[in-house]
Amino acid sequence: MSSDVRTFFVSTAQVILLTVVIITITFLAIKPDPDHYFAGSLLHLHLLENTPSPRIILVGGSNVSFGIDAELMQRTLGIPVINDGLHAGLGLAPLRELEEYIHAGDEIIISLEYDLFANQDVLNGDPAFLSDWIEYSPRRVKYLSNPWEEAPGIYAIMLQRKVNRKVNTYLFGGSLNEVRDIFVGTKYDLNGDFIGHLQETSTNRRKIPATSYPVSGLQDDIFVFLENFNRIAREKGARVYFEAPASRQSNCKATGKAQMADFFKTFAERSSVPVLTPFDDVCLPNKYFFDTEYHLNAQGRELRTKRLIENWIKVTTALK
Amino acid sequence: MLFNSAAFLVFFPVVTTAYFLLPHRFRWMLLLAASCYFYMAFIPKYILILAVTITVDYFAGLGLEKFEGRKKRWVLMASILTNIGMLAFFKYFNFANENLALLAKFIGWNYPIHSLAIILPIGLSFHTFQSLSYTIEVYRGHQKAERHFGYLALYVMYYPQLVAGPIERPQNILHQLHTEQRFEYPRVTDGLKRMAWGMFKKIVVADRMVLFVNPVYSDPTNHHGPALVFATLAFAIQIYCDFSGYSDIALGSAQVMGVKLMKNFDHPYFARSISEFWRRWHISLSTWFRDYVYIPLGGNRVARPRWMFNLFITFLISGLWHGADWTYIIWGALHGFYLVVFALTEPFWRRLSALTRLDRLPRLKIVISTLTTFFLVTFAWIFFRAASLAEALYIVRHLGSGWRSYLVQSGHVLQEGFQNIANLGPYSIVSAIFTIFTPLTEESRTVIALTAFALMILIVIEVLQYRGNLLEELHQKPVYLRRIVYASLIAVILIFGTSYASVQQAFIYFQF
Repeated sequence: MSSDVRTFFVSTAQVILLTVVIITITFLAIKPDPDHYFAGSLLHLHLLENTPSPRIILVGGSNVSFGIDAELMQRTLGIPVINDGLHAGLGLAPLRELEEYIHAGDEIIISLEYDLFANQDVLNGDPAFLSDWIEYSPRRVKYLSNPWEEAPGIYAIMLQRKVNRKVNTYLFGGSLNEVRDIFVGTKYDLNGDFIGHLQETSTNRRKIPATSYPVSGLQDDIFVFLENFNRIAREKGARVYFEAPASRQSNCKATGKAQMADFFKTFAERSSVPVLTPFDDVCLPNKYFFDTEYHLNAQGRELRTKRLIENWIKVTTALK
Repeated sequence: MLFNSAAFLVFFPVVTTAYFLLPHRFRWMLLLAASCYFYMAFIPKYILILAVTITVDYFAGLGLEKFEGRKKRWVLMASILTNIGMLAFFKYFNFANENLALLAKFIGWNYPIHSLAIILPIGLSFHTFQSLSYTIEVYRGHQKAERHFGYLALYVMYYPQLVAGPIERPQNILHQLHTEQRFEYPRVTDGLKRMAWGMFKKIVVADRMVLFVNPVYSDPTNHHGPALVFATLAFAIQIYCDFSGYSDIALGSAQVMGVKLMKNFDHPYFARSISEFWRRWHISLSTWFRDYVYIPLGGNRVARPRWMFNLFITFLISGLWHGADWTYIIWGALHGFYLVVFALTEPFWRRLSALTRLDRLPRLKIVISTLTTFFLVTFAWIFFRAASLAEALYIVRHLGSGWRSYLVQSGHVLQEGFQNIANLGPYSIVSAIFTIFTPLTEESRTVIALTAFALMILIVIEVLQYRGNLLEELHQKPVYLRRIVYASLIAVILIFGTSYASVQQAFIYFQF
């Protein structure tokens, strides 16, 4: 080996090492943000690890975290209930995580937003949301749809978002509350329900556009996943149900009743997971919605939870 | 394959390592295979276009050496027709056809020819011009015909400059490809540093500018004058960093393998006149047009009106070279117009400068002429960037609109910021400044702040490079300091680069 090649390898190794040191220090110095909405996922994880079975676990996107009251369910039914709902932008990753914590006797109620059925990208999760979620528990990287392929990109995004957040904190004079609004990670109750929106007095926080729900062109992958999830749960002695996501009357109307009915018909045909929600209960009046077509306000959350309790009792009784 | 892709991060070290490990006689094969792979990462079948071009020009080169007189001219014509024919078919057929159809409709004729569903091959204009320069140089006797088909193919296809230049001349590159290159530490590391700087310009600056440019240029009718001006200035920075960043990566990667490509950019925004701008911007293309279009037309050694015509027509063709659209033609024409006007009014400017005593203030004169050149160039970029001629004209017409209300509102925000200092401290001023910027960019204050940081690095380095050889100066510093500087640059690219966080941005000039 010539002296030039040797010098090159030594100097390159030094530069790479220094780069790794700079990046590692940056990475470690900026801690996960305790006020981020996704900080609630640590509480969810804690509940999944420490709540004894049998229990009811509610899982899905923000239609679950905003729109089902696990605490009320627990009080009514007398068994532990965990709200593991967080954000539809995470795709199926939270369900993959949940798979590990299923125990015999668990009752799992999945409520996925329509977008996850119709769009492959949504199903895989948004890289920015996933990187924020993984930041709270790095081992979550294994719940990505293609961990080896996606992990380097996710960690690169995580690094950028950490730095962005730090810069953002400085620019906002030390607090990000101005941009966070109600979406703060400390606003969860002991069952994992998000409660940041319950204090809002207005029922309709902002004008929600009456766009249609994406209920057509359903992806095969989601049904394959649900079947697999159901099989694993059964093998572990648990049961899985599907609850319709919170659906707003005007948006249902824009979608079309026949199309909505088709969605649930297709679901029943392609999945062995029983649906808890009777079709007539799927769409809720506009007054029960908070800020998006999936987020219920306090009144809507109460109504939906009471109906869910009734439906769950009916279906489980029938299954017995 | 994109230089700013993960695939290139693997491709480059593998090819370079194999290059230095292989005996010289096999290296051309490796580089040719690597170049084919690099090109085929886009649309594989288009490699056939290159195969045809190279084969025709290979035999044309041999024929040009063999024949004399009329036969020689016929051979040259065959080569030019093949090259230009490919370009005309893939790049200009639909444009010409659509315009003919419009004309036919206007005069009430039935025009039966439909446009073709073809995708423009990546870098077609670049490798066609490079191939053409080979046959022209052989015809002129400046270059011997290449007898080794593989080396000629490599000359046209050499991957660092295959898809976006620099457009090389055979005299500069062919002999370098034939020469055995050894691993030389200073040359290899200088090449890598150049690549890193190019990556910074592309990933950290240019791709960040996209955030300010695209929202406005994708829908200019929904934006007022200040936003249009801001987006246009951002595009001026974007295109410079995008294209010169690409050129730096190309030059750097070739340098690592011992090939010195021609300089393509030389701080163009420091130019004090439009003609100087074109001596500093896309140098390989402007010299190509100078050598093969402008001078053959007579250059400036003709009567004044003909000289003006030569200037104008050269830039008009240059505009057309960039893209088959009226926006590019007008962009080229605008630069031709600038040059003609400045050539015609040069005595007037000299007299004005003497009259206003600007001659006695050379620094002020430099600032004024540099800014004037920059704003003229930036104004022309409107036509280059706009999606259509109608949108470009809309932007031009509305550059001055909405300033009054924007400035009044900004004034109020700033005033409020100053009033709040007592309660909120200096943060209230910072907040006011970001509030003023937000309507222009529609971006968060974090994005604006990080962009300002990236621009600050860019400007400092550019000024230092302009004033002297930055790498030479850096070599004088202690080793540990140099290592920290290089590691920091790589870390900044990884942390602040936008490609990972959003959709990877292709280089702008790939489309040409």
